[in-house]
Amino acid sequence: MWKNIIIHPKKCTGCHLCELYCSFHHFKINNPSRSRIHVVRSEPYIDSPVLCIQCGLCINSCPVGAIIRNKKNGAINVLIDKCIGCAQCVFVCPYGAATIDPVTKKALICDLCDGEPECVKNCPEKVLEYVDSTKAVYYKNLIISKLLKKESVPLEPYPK
Amino acid sequence: MSEKIFGYAGQILRIDLSKKKILKESLRKDFIKKYIGCTGYAAAILWYELKPKIDPLSPENKIIFSTGPLTGTLCPCSGSYEICFKSPLTNAFGESRSGGIFGPKMKYAGFDHIIIEGKSDKPVYIWINNGEVEIKDAQHLYGKTVHETTEIILEEIKEPEASIACIGPAGEKLVRFAAVMNDRDRAAGRCGGGAIMGSKNLKAIAINGEKDIEIANPEKFYEFVTEAEKALLKKTALRRFGTINAITVLNAMGALPTKYGYTGFFERAEDVSSERLLSKYLIKRRACFACPIGCGRYSEVKHGIWATPPHEGPEFETADMLGPWIYLSNLEAIIKANYLCNNYGLDTISAGNVIAFAIECYEKGWIKEDLVKGIKLEWNNPETMIELIKLIAKRERIGDLLAEGVMRAAEKIGYGAPELALHTKGLEMPAHDPRGETKIMAIKYAVEYRGGCHVHSGFPGLYDRSPESLNDYGLKQFGLPWPPKGKFIEEGKGIAYRFFAIFGQIPEIMGMCQFASMGSEGNMITAKDYANIYSSLTGIEMNEYDLMKIGERVYNLKRCFNVREGFNRKDDKLPKRMYEPIATGPVKGEYVKNLDLMLNEFYEAMGWDIETGIPTFKKLKELGLEDVAEELKKI
Ligand code: SF4
Ligand code: SF4
Ligand code: SF4
Repeated sequence: MWKNIIIHPKKCTGCHLCELYCSFHHFKINNPSRSRIHVVRSEPYIDSPVLCIQCGLCINSCPVGAIIRNKKNGAINVLIDKCIGCAQCVFVCPYGAATIDPVTKKALICDLCDGEPECVKNCPEKVLEYVDSTKAVYYKNLIISKLLKKESVPLEPYPK
Repeated sequence: MSEKIFGYAGQILRIDLSKKKILKESLRKDFIKKYIGCTGYAAAILWYELKPKIDPLSPENKIIFSTGPLTGTLCPCSGSYEICFKSPLTNAFGESRSGGIFGPKMKYAGFDHIIIEGKSDKPVYIWINNGEVEIKDAQHLYGKTVHETTEIILEEIKEPEASIACIGPAGEKLVRFAAVMNDRDRAAGRCGGGAIMGSKNLKAIAINGEKDIEIANPEKFYEFVTEAEKALLKKTALRRFGTINAITVLNAMGALPTKYGYTGFFERAEDVSSERLLSKYLIKRRACFACPIGCGRYSEVKHGIWATPPHEGPEFETADMLGPWIYLSNLEAIIKANYLCNNYGLDTISAGNVIAFAIECYEKGWIKEDLVKGIKLEWNNPETMIELIKLIAKRERIGDLLAEGVMRAAEKIGYGAPELALHTKGLEMPAHDPRGETKIMAIKYAVEYRGGCHVHSGFPGLYDRSPESLNDYGLKQFGLPWPPKGKFIEEGKGIAYRFFAIFGQIPEIMGMCQFASMGSEGNMITAKDYANIYSSLTGIEMNEYDLMKIGERVYNLKRCFNVREGFNRKDDKLPKRMYEPIATGPVKGEYVKNLDLMLNEFYEAMGWDIETGIPTFKKLKELGLEDVAEELKKI
């Protein structure tokens, strides 16, 4: 069975280590802007990684057929020699997971590190988990359901 | 750049605000070899470029934003930058570290250091985007808080991922302990860097970058940094409870600075403890860039008169200086005060110190009534604390006096105030009491180049604080006296402190957080680890002994900077209260007995002249600082 990465956003401290490990794994450099996982910090409250869910929408968006699915582990693979950097995949990805590498000017999409995700291995807070695709459903549902959570109403009104 | 330097960005950005001149210079290889980077490199720049005895708030002063080779890399806890300048509080070497993501962004933008010189004729900010530099108008930002400034600039430059370092109203008003704030709530707080920016009419630096930091030996580097990450993950208490955990720990020891140092024991400590913060106000932990520890707290007060939006803090120093120091236990008010200090751009340590100082002076009848009309200058009064923070930031009424820092305010107040003021060299003492905690802090406070500081260079408090938790900081191999004789024994502390002074420079010149460098082998990054990480990153081979030598060189250079400014043994002293017994609590009666003994030991161990406390010619020559020694001879 294929596996997917799921996120427990509540635990994230926004340390960017996942980005550093991702870009290191692929390019042997330090540069979070060349990572395939993106840590968002937005005031107030938000620290969370956002990453590719391997849905495959981008495959058909690519005009030169540079994006394929790896049959072994189900990951999206970009054929770098074919990629022309047109950013159609960036445009179509609903999650903002596909980007254009600022250095090579070619597509960056999570390839699950060939089945051994570096970000999962090195996140100090265990925000990321690599689980069987069927199990991922539960966690995704949980995240969606949390979006619907109601804030408790304060007993006293806010001061002016 | 001719030849590639791994690990470093390779360039220095120099901006002359008087002439609006922007210059890019190559990093000097000889400086890297001698000083590594960050505050080491910056100390060398300041030594060679600053004229002695200048007014720190004049255009002749410079402020340098510095990163180290490890900044912005995979190495855990490497998200630091430091600012270096001549301090307006002490007139000595000033430096201050901060985390967040500003430092890494400097490297990704292509600069190891940013040197700011001169003075702009009108308010400006600097926008650095991947090596492109622009000086922009900041007239509309004047008077704005740190959070407001950050929002407006992010909107203007249309780069949401940029990092902003800026000053608040306190920096504009030249409050001598104004901080430089970055990424909203991270502070390069100590020594008054914010006032230097204010004096140059520089409101902010915005920066973003996407360049690579290259690695000489990736396989080895990966091996060493993952080891280091594993070690740091063992700091479970710091991770879970944050630095504010120290409230409970120190109070149990009788060493929680309380009521302006009157005692080390606070009956209501539980009210300001980490547990209390966790149970009601903490939203989550927040980490600096590349930090697996994540000591940062992210909290809010939701309702009531102390309500604040979510923001980072409070950490231990803030919680104590704006809490027990003022004999205050209202945690909500402390969180609010922290929020205000962050937004006005005030160093919370110095702010708490001057506020408590003012209260005690008033109690003793040394402050004139008309200066404090309408303010109840008394202990344990949260309204007073908040009011004073605002007055200081705006330099209004008594705030104008306190904004000068505790040493200058004391001179002006007169009576017994100068004797009461808790500072060394003009830097307000922080929340560690050498009398009750460990006597090694006493020698540290006395000799530190930046004044009354617990953490530059290195925090030695964990060395012998309690017999159950001795920590050797990985320094046994260099000869650190071990095991320690006991925390209240003064003899030998000067010798022991030498190791911390030297080792403490290593994280600083590497661009690291000090928390990575405390503890014992297995739960910290030791000198040997630093050598491995540095060598594999840069390809410049170094062992731990080489690094300790460089640490010693840098420490001596900073000392020499101060010597050139007129500092010597007479300035290595402690405030009077440190010689008076702690009034209550478990270690009631403890006081510093013989600082001279520790000073003699320290100077001798350092190879400095015992009479004057000045590094000897022989020592400086041995460290490759002959030219520095020559210049000192002229004085
Ligand atoms: S990059 Fe986006 S569109 Fe492509 S597979 Fe990943 S999530 Fe789907
Ligand atoms: S699995 Fe690998 S490629 Fe995908 S985001 Fe994580 S580190 Fe990057
Ligand atoms: S490594 Fe983990 S905690 Fe750090 S930013 Fe990534 S997901 Fe968040």
